[in-house]
Amino acid sequence: MTTAADVAGEAARSRRRRRERLGKIGRHAILLAWTAFIAFPIFWMVSTSFKDAGEWVAWPPHWLPHEPTLHNYAQIFAFGALDPTLSRQATEQAFTIWKGLGDALLVCTAASLLGLLLGTFLAYAISRFNVGGKYFRHTILMIRMIPPIVVAISILIYYAIIIPYATSALFGVRISLFDTYVGLILIYTVTTLPFVIWMMLTFIDEVPYTLEHAARLMGAGRLQVLRRVVLPLVASGMVVTFLFVFILNWAEFLLALTLTHPEVTTLTVLLNKFQSAAEGRLYGPQAAIGTVVTVPVVIMGLLIQKHLVKGFSFGTIRK
Amino acid sequence: MAGIALQNLVKSFGSYVAVSGVSLDVRDGEFLIMVGPSGCGKTTTLNMISGLETPTSGSIVIGGTVVNDVEPGERGLGMVFQDLALFPHMTVFENIAFGLRVRKVSSAEIKARVTAAAEAMHIQPLLAKMPRQCSGGESQRVALARTIVTNPAVFLMDEPLSSLDAKLRVDMRTELKRLHGKLKATFIYVTHDQAEAMTMADRIVVMSKGKIEQLGTPLEIYNRPATRFVAGFFGTPTMNFLDGAVDGGATGPLFRGGGIEQPLPASLPADLRGRSITLGVRSEHVMVNGINGAASSPGTARLLEPLGDVTLVHFDAGEGRSLVAKVPPVTGLASGAALSFEFAAEHCHLFDPGTGQRLN
Repeated sequence: MTTAADVAGEAARSRRRRRERLGKIGRHAILLAWTAFIAFPIFWMVSTSFKDAGEWVAWPPHWLPHEPTLHNYAQIFAFGALDPTLSRQATEQAFTIWKGLGDALLVCTAASLLGLLLGTFLAYAISRFNVGGKYFRHTILMIRMIPPIVVAISILIYYAIIIPYATSALFGVRISLFDTYVGLILIYTVTTLPFVIWMMLTFIDEVPYTLEHAARLMGAGRLQVLRRVVLPLVASGMVVTFLFVFILNWAEFLLALTLTHPEVTTLTVLLNKFQSAAEGRLYGPQAAIGTVVTVPVVIMGLLIQKHLVKGFSFGTIRK
Repeated sequence: MAGIALQNLVKSFGSYVAVSGVSLDVRDGEFLIMVGPSGCGKTTTLNMISGLETPTSGSIVIGGTVVNDVEPGERGLGMVFQDLALFPHMTVFENIAFGLRVRKVSSAEIKARVTAAAEAMHIQPLLAKMPRQCSGGESQRVALARTIVTNPAVFLMDEPLSSLDAKLRVDMRTELKRLHGKLKATFIYVTHDQAEAMTMADRIVVMSKGKIEQLGTPLEIYNRPATRFVAGFFGTPTMNFLDGAVDGGATGPLFRGGGIEQPLPASLPADLRGRSITLGVRSEHVMVNGINGAASSPGTARLLEPLGDVTLVHFDAGEGRSLVAKVPPVTGLASGAALSFEFAAEHCHLFDPGTGQRLN
């Protein structure tokens, strides 16, 4: 027999279930809308990369290419002198991606490796010897919060004027860092260093100092302790940090735009230069480059996700 | 083989003095245990011996050489840490071989010595495993094997058994004692567990607030504690303490305090008469209801704790004073029952109420 209380209880339960279901639907709707909002430009970029010139700015917009073509990809991946069929009218612009890709790979890899190396040792010093005092690690992160535009112009003045002038006055040799690999690698290393230090600190702090004490008592010197004990234990963290910093450098635009041209050209800068006198902005090749550039970032993002879990869970150290 | 001398060792961290003027001679081949509550400076002292901490002042002499400025790895010491500090990214074999590898010993010799050390600690089947695959007791043995493989003259151990369960801890105590007998090396062992100290040590150093309270054999420490702190630190349950004064009775010296009158040995120094003292007596020297002997003062049983071989009787000795007696298991007592008690006069310890120093 069901009593009035049972009925009331059942009604309350069903109201709660309905509320929970509605809440769930609402949450998913918001997340889906947000995903669509975020993913739309990427979809548009990939779609445009397969469109021919006529469809780039067609109205009403062609969501998917009506006549899909690989023309844009053929253009950006072309070798040597441009085939006349791939050439655009009235433009002297080089369309190929190779120079930009090479420069970007060189600069980003070198800067990320250098940053990782310096940052790891700095983080070790901060973690173990309390270098810089109690609040130093926060100060470091604060440096990273300064927008690059604030430093871009001053660095340009240093690179293009002060350093060349000073070196030629002092040593009789004019050394300019403007539009050089070294110059860009240095500025990328410096701007990402706070990130490396901050990330490596979290990993190094996790390594119990008794492991180092044990190694030292067994006769290992400080460098041996680092090489045989600390670095192997934070290797996963170093991989994550490298990938993270590499993505930052890979996507950097403002400093590269300000401090290079025309000798060194990274992909982000190259992307910006795609226009012709006859056709204006060359959205197709730009979209193709954009797609090509995004692929490694996506792969690295997935790698980071996998390593991050591993990196943070030593799981084997008894505390 | 090496003896160790600590000469007026001081270590301060800023304004906090962790170790204040410790002087100690550790004999060659001795099993010395440093014991005391957390923060008493025992681990800091051990770390100074190992070279992981630099003394603020004073010197450390190992085998006749002052080693203050010698790197930890060059002092000829082996150390077992509280968390064992096994390298999680290396196999058990590599963990044990680590000290030999950094010393650039040949691979053939490494293999032979690691195998020998593993055999000595009965862990040969573990050599290919990772430390995370070892149980607590196995990890303990790996840590010991890693220490013995380099043949150190001195073993330092910082509460190595604290992470083990009670049974394993007792087993490992025996194992360590056996190892010490076999290696004949100097062992300096830090613990806060008085049972470990009593069972394993040749001599015990009791520390408190950065100072040595007493140095002696386990039985000396137990039977003649030099201070009230040592008296209270050793023994389970804790020694009973009563404040009062020594009085000269017709039959001999008498302790009077809190309504209790307790005869004291006639051999008591005469200058103690009339003086305020703290009387300490262990629970096994409290006689209840004449079970152990004549009893005189009245009390009320509050709580009985039968432990099988003995029973602990917590009783009210008047004026809200609670005492504990350790009596044979069959007492016939019940909670709330009236009882009478007396202390064994020859086992009464007298301390200065101010300094805590022993007076008799």
